[in-house]
Amino acid sequence: MKNEFTSQPSASSSVFFDKLAEFGIVIAFIFLCICLSFANENFMTWGNWVNVLRQTSINGILAIGMTYVILTKGIDLSVGSLLSVSGIVAASLVTGEAAGSVWIAIPVGLCVGMFLGALNGLVVARLSVAPFVVTLGMLSMARGFTFIYNDGMPIANLSPQFRYLGQGMVGGMPVPVIVLALVFAIFWFILNRTTFGRYVYAVGGNEKSAKTSGIRTRLVVFSVYVISGLLSALAGLILAARTTSALPQAGVAYELDAIAAVVIGGTSLNGGVGTLTGTLVGALIIGVINNGLDLLGVSSYYQQVIKGAIIVAAVLIDVSRKRKN
Amino acid sequence: MRIIKLAAISVALSLIGSASAIAQPKKTYNIGAAVYGLKGEFMQLWANSLKEHPLVKDGTIKLTILDGRYDALTQNNQFDTMITQKVDGIIFVPIDIQAGAEAVSKAAAANIPVVGSNTRVNSDKLTSYVGSNDVIAGEMEAESVIKAIGGKGNVVILEGPIGQSAQIERRKGNQNVLARYKDVKVLEMKTANWSRAEALTLMENWLTAHSGKINGIIGQNDEMALGAIEAVKAKGIDPKSIPTAGIDGVLDAVRAVKAGTMVSVLQDASAQAQGSLDVLMRSIVGPTYKPQAKIWDHYKSVGLIWGDGTAKAYSIPWTPITLKNADEMLAGSK
Repeated sequence: MKNEFTSQPSASSSVFFDKLAEFGIVIAFIFLCICLSFANENFMTWGNWVNVLRQTSINGILAIGMTYVILTKGIDLSVGSLLSVSGIVAASLVTGEAAGSVWIAIPVGLCVGMFLGALNGLVVARLSVAPFVVTLGMLSMARGFTFIYNDGMPIANLSPQFRYLGQGMVGGMPVPVIVLALVFAIFWFILNRTTFGRYVYAVGGNEKSAKTSGIRTRLVVFSVYVISGLLSALAGLILAARTTSALPQAGVAYELDAIAAVVIGGTSLNGGVGTLTGTLVGALIIGVINNGLDLLGVSSYYQQVIKGAIIVAAVLIDVSRKRKN
Repeated sequence: MRIIKLAAISVALSLIGSASAIAQPKKTYNIGAAVYGLKGEFMQLWANSLKEHPLVKDGTIKLTILDGRYDALTQNNQFDTMITQKVDGIIFVPIDIQAGAEAVSKAAAANIPVVGSNTRVNSDKLTSYVGSNDVIAGEMEAESVIKAIGGKGNVVILEGPIGQSAQIERRKGNQNVLARYKDVKVLEMKTANWSRAEALTLMENWLTAHSGKINGIIGQNDEMALGAIEAVKAKGIDPKSIPTAGIDGVLDAVRAVKAGTMVSVLQDASAQAQGSLDVLMRSIVGPTYKPQAKIWDHYKSVGLIWGDGTAKAYSIPWTPITLKNADEMLAGSK
């Protein structure tokens, strides 16, 4: 369905390898879970899975936006900073005795993320500056705004209604997990069932032929940065609500985990190839590794080494798949 | 137009007037404060109170605060700049206990006095050091958690970034106390990098791995202790049933102390900042200098003595946060 625009020589073989890659990552995930459940009796418990899902929710949401960007051959390094600036702006509206309504704070926070994402998109799409450079600049600028906004101080004492976004439970499921599920469903639908989704793949697969076939490629590129900004903001609101305070230094280096989830999930950094399901499994793999190694009492230094090794392995799979094609 | 001009002139005149009034020592002093980074709440408070020092406010001291951006090389470069600009004195809050020594030596060679504050540097060229002893804070928090669990049981320790002087010394303090209690077992000890979000995740996982076995939580700073409390709450456990301690006295921790969910000790940023400036000025101006900050009176009863202002080290005491002083602290922040 999506590959009529991609640059692969044979559509059917591309589908086959896509499926295999996605399948492979699911098998790897299940294998990891089986190993961990043998290594620690607490791993395969309901309570622990609630933890894993809750801990994955923020990175998962960021990674979904990141998938859209990477599918267009772009990258968004600014997600961690957008997360923090949106969180602190929203938090400032729901703190102390003068706490306002969450129905104002949440949309305002989301708009901040979308606006800064739109700036990214505008410069990338309109002025054709490399996404790496544009979003690297935004990473620094948005972090600066965060410190300027409240003079470098955290905003705490958030209203219970706002905290519900991070701490609430609905039917035994934490609210952040439900938000992640909704975000996944919505953006899966957009990517796989709408024309816009098809265009995202097309622009990343081969921008020139996409343009000649009448797609407004600039608009598509612009939109994915807005999406990434929106989802960064959403993640920022959840993080502030979970930790009951918006910290100006929150979210530093979160872009790395988000990119890692996308890459582990089989999305190609060359654009045009990848799935949201893969990304979700990628985010879960990172979550499970962190959780499992904590349960086993492994030092956090080793966690970093293991996570890095998995990312490189995932890219190796990606490269070897291309060679086969 | 005329009114504006008149106003401008009168402001200018009054400035001259006030300047001559305080210009009795006939000199303004250029002081540089090189701090490791301005991103944390504590260093923000430190920098803001330094600007509130009476001599900075009345213009006698021209203060420049340099943000080291958590990088030893940046701090070294900033020292070079200050030496070239011939500042009268430097307050130094180093990022690294070793890497800062070289910078201090360079300043000393240029006859610029350097007073350390808050974090330590391994140098005998330092004029003086004004800070709080992190070993003591580590001992205080461990003691309070262990006492609260009745001298026996299991605790977990949330550590700062491994290798930072505060982490090293607070761990030492934790262990000094733990060594005395044979019936207290440390189930887990891991870094959460001073971060609330990281501590929250870590604690959730520990509560799963050691379900029902964790009796107390020692957080080497407040942020991590607060993150742990959120994890305990999320698990449906009453945070009051697991005694938790932190260090620093950030506002959120003061609120938590009020709510009865944790204990903490206040690290007085203002005393460290203003105290170090007084000690520095004493070394520049000479024996005629009288300390200006209120902290010397405030802490006199608990053993902080100015003397003649030439001691090699001044230790600012830790103040345990209690229900009584919590209200004052919250009120003072507004």
